Amino acid sequence: MRKHILLPGAAAVALTALLAACGGANNTSGSGTPTIAPADKGGTLTILDSETTLTLDPAQSWSLAVTSSGLLWRRLTTWKIAPTGAPEVVPDLATSDGTPSDGGRVWTYHLKSGIYFSNGQPITSYDVKYGIERTYAPALSGGLNYQKPLIAGTAGYTGPFSGKQLSSIVTPNSKTIIFHLNKPYGDWPWVVSTTSMAPVPEGKAPAATFGDHPITSGPYAVQSYTPGNSAILVRNKYWNAATDPNRSGGPDKIIWELNQDPTVEAQTLIADGPNAENSFGADFVPPAQLAQVENDPSAKARLVTSPASPLEYVAVNMQSPKLKNLKVREALEYAINRQSVVVASGGPIAAEPATTLITPGIAGREPYNLYPAGSAGEPAKAKTLLTQAGVHNLTITLATPNDPISTAISQAIQQAYSAAGIKVVIKSLSENAWGALVTGNSASGYDLALSSWQPDFPSAMDNIEPLFASDMIGNGNYNVSRLDDPKVDALIDRAEGTINQAAAGKIWAQADKAVMADAAVVPLVYNRNSFLRGSNVQNFYIGEFPAYPVYTAVSLKQ
Amino acid sequence: MKTMRFLLTKLAGMIAVLLLVSLATYLIFYILPADPARTECGRLCTPSELRAVRAFMGLAQPVWRQYLDFLAAIFAGRTYGTGPGSIVCSAPCLGYSFQQNRTVLSLIGQTLPVTASIALGAAAAWLVAGTAAGVISALRRGTATDRVVMTTAIVGVSAPSYLVGLLAILLFGFKLNILPVSGYVSLLQSPAQWAFHLILPWCTLAFISAAIYGRLTRSQMLDALGEDYVRTARAKGLLERRVVVRHALRNVMIPIITMFGLDVGALLGGAVITEKVYSMYGLGALLIGAVQTTDLSTISGVTLLAAVFVVVANFLVDLTYKLLDPRV
Repeated sequence: MRKHILLPGAAAVALTALLAACGGANNTSGSGTPTIAPADKGGTLTILDSETTLTLDPAQSWSLAVTSSGLLWRRLTTWKIAPTGAPEVVPDLATSDGTPSDGGRVWTYHLKSGIYFSNGQPITSYDVKYGIERTYAPALSGGLNYQKPLIAGTAGYTGPFSGKQLSSIVTPNSKTIIFHLNKPYGDWPWVVSTTSMAPVPEGKAPAATFGDHPITSGPYAVQSYTPGNSAILVRNKYWNAATDPNRSGGPDKIIWELNQDPTVEAQTLIADGPNAENSFGADFVPPAQLAQVENDPSAKARLVTSPASPLEYVAVNMQSPKLKNLKVREALEYAINRQSVVVASGGPIAAEPATTLITPGIAGREPYNLYPAGSAGEPAKAKTLLTQAGVHNLTITLATPNDPISTAISQAIQQAYSAAGIKVVIKSLSENAWGALVTGNSASGYDLALSSWQPDFPSAMDNIEPLFASDMIGNGNYNVSRLDDPKVDALIDRAEGTINQAAAGKIWAQADKAVMADAAVVPLVYNRNSFLRGSNVQNFYIGEFPAYPVYTAVSLKQ
Repeated sequence: MKTMRFLLTKLAGMIAVLLLVSLATYLIFYILPADPARTECGRLCTPSELRAVRAFMGLAQPVWRQYLDFLAAIFAGRTYGTGPGSIVCSAPCLGYSFQQNRTVLSLIGQTLPVTASIALGAAAAWLVAGTAAGVISALRRGTATDRVVMTTAIVGVSAPSYLVGLLAILLFGFKLNILPVSGYVSLLQSPAQWAFHLILPWCTLAFISAAIYGRLTRSQMLDALGEDYVRTARAKGLLERRVVVRHALRNVMIPIITMFGLDVGALLGGAVITEKVYSMYGLGALLIGAVQTTDLSTISGVTLLAAVFVVVANFLVDLTYKLLDPRV
């Protein structure tokens, strides 16, 4: 998923939790695994959100499949997220999660019957194709875009508004859509679950205005939207629940209150007054309010915390002259004190030490530690490695966003490396400046960079490829380590081209280890996120992925 | 003739200031290490896609050309891109926000009433409260009343607005549960709810600013009450109320009005902290969001508008000066 520093509208991953509770790996509501009740129908749900805007054009949305976009748009596939167990990709508009052929270069989907847009129009394969084609228009290019480099024959294509279509997306009839990719791609079922792939009525979605009055396909339609104020979602009366077992469609109406102050939002939910009983917060609970929740049994029972998932890490700039020697980079691996980073993040129940790049909850993850140094690190071993490398008095620059948590973590890193004789100069920058520096085309200006990452969908591909593939260096992309290793690239290509997901998982695990063998990154911690709900909100839970509540399951007690 | 010359000179100065402000905004933005085209290009942006997005947004032109296009669009409008997928921004076009898929003018149209509601209501409150407190304190100099008023003023001057706002929310919103803690209701939708939702923001801003005005008024009033013309007025047997209001206060108001005009003008550009604390989407919140997302169009448009408010406020203050002080 987006790094908090890079994306407009992104929730701040940096705010982590001081948690009450059981401290178990699974999400809790203060007292163990939540029970899922049958979804009652009715009531008005309020979502409190600090964001000032909602992106209501699916081509530009970065929303996860089970949060805001999941309420409005269906795609060919979606995610099945349960309170426990690995996330699954499941059919949504399609009858299956896709039929591969030609070694995985071609994927075929058949649409269900009885699926309609919010204007009553049946959803056809032509609409799915049109929605995807729109993402190639420059005016609408701001979305997740995983499909864009994969669909064959799109070079120079600028969208359907001039009447041109993509010949690589074939629609032989209204119920069938066939994708021709430019290489075998085993994760295509996950890619088609992203919001960019949502269908849009063919020819009825101009770039400039569709987001003002979108035509939706999910359980809700947009009644009104005022940026900075609110959005009101009402039932899509043409949504056919029988075709959509993945969404509860519980509330009759959803009021999305925007531009909320996170502190006031948390206080409102803690108080759980008449206006808050039917509400939940879209933002992480701030640390100060988490301490308050700790002492409030009622609020504690309504707190939900994710399993440890998003990865906080130090990207090692492989193009820095000071870090060319592998032994120097290995010294960085051994010297790190993960225990102090956990403390800086908010405590042991807010984060846990990380040693792998594929994060918990993602299929194919193999726990391992290539640099076993204990949670406090081994500065002595780091010094030995530096001596072997012939490096003395090493001074390096750590670029970090200037939010409080990142600043605290940077200082913990500085102290840990100081014990190994490595002087760290902290370059603290605003999010925009940080992003421009570490994702720009110049490799100069930093030796290390503090960053974090959660995949946009639960595939190991999204843990590895955006961060370590050589074609993700610069141009605003996220290979902040600037790793250019043909071995890693080859593993990425092989894993992406493997259709069998179990086999692909094993190759991704190899890629994980290959990147760590390069010592291109120092994994620090996996973070946890906490959210509050009102007392009348039910089925408010977080699965193993993503580290956010499943909005599409939420309902209100009736 | 003299008046015409005065007006023309002022107008020329205002236009010059606005041009300088808009130019400075453009130059500062381009010095900053941020790329709005990259933000718009989305995930996994390739160099060719980035070029296409940059061209579409009009950012492939030299900076000077982009600035001239911005100015020209105010009078003639502009079109982003070409063909059926283009986006039209009709005159007066202050730019197009690709982040929010709206013209900057429409965003301003939505947010300005919020800021104006907060600013003008609070301004009226702090002017009345601050001036009254300062006058009372000056007339009762050295008494317990004076000490209480000035101590309160010190608290108001010292307290950060964010803290005052949160404390007010905690007390009146959660503890006493008598006032709403967030949200704006349009005046057209419900005047009563509009005012009800603005009570806390007004009081927050007024508490802080009234403190400043109270201290200034007290100081000016004490000076005025010692002047010969006041002694003369009292010697003529005028009622004390008339002496204070018609003579002393009138002169005291000259610097007060000057400061008031500038403060209101600046506040109309966005009461950022108050808007954020009370979850009201005004110009301040719009501008902060635009800075965070490198939305150059919105930054330029809102900054220019804020500058318009300040220069117009200055102009009105100059006019008011002539009314208050015939010697000017």
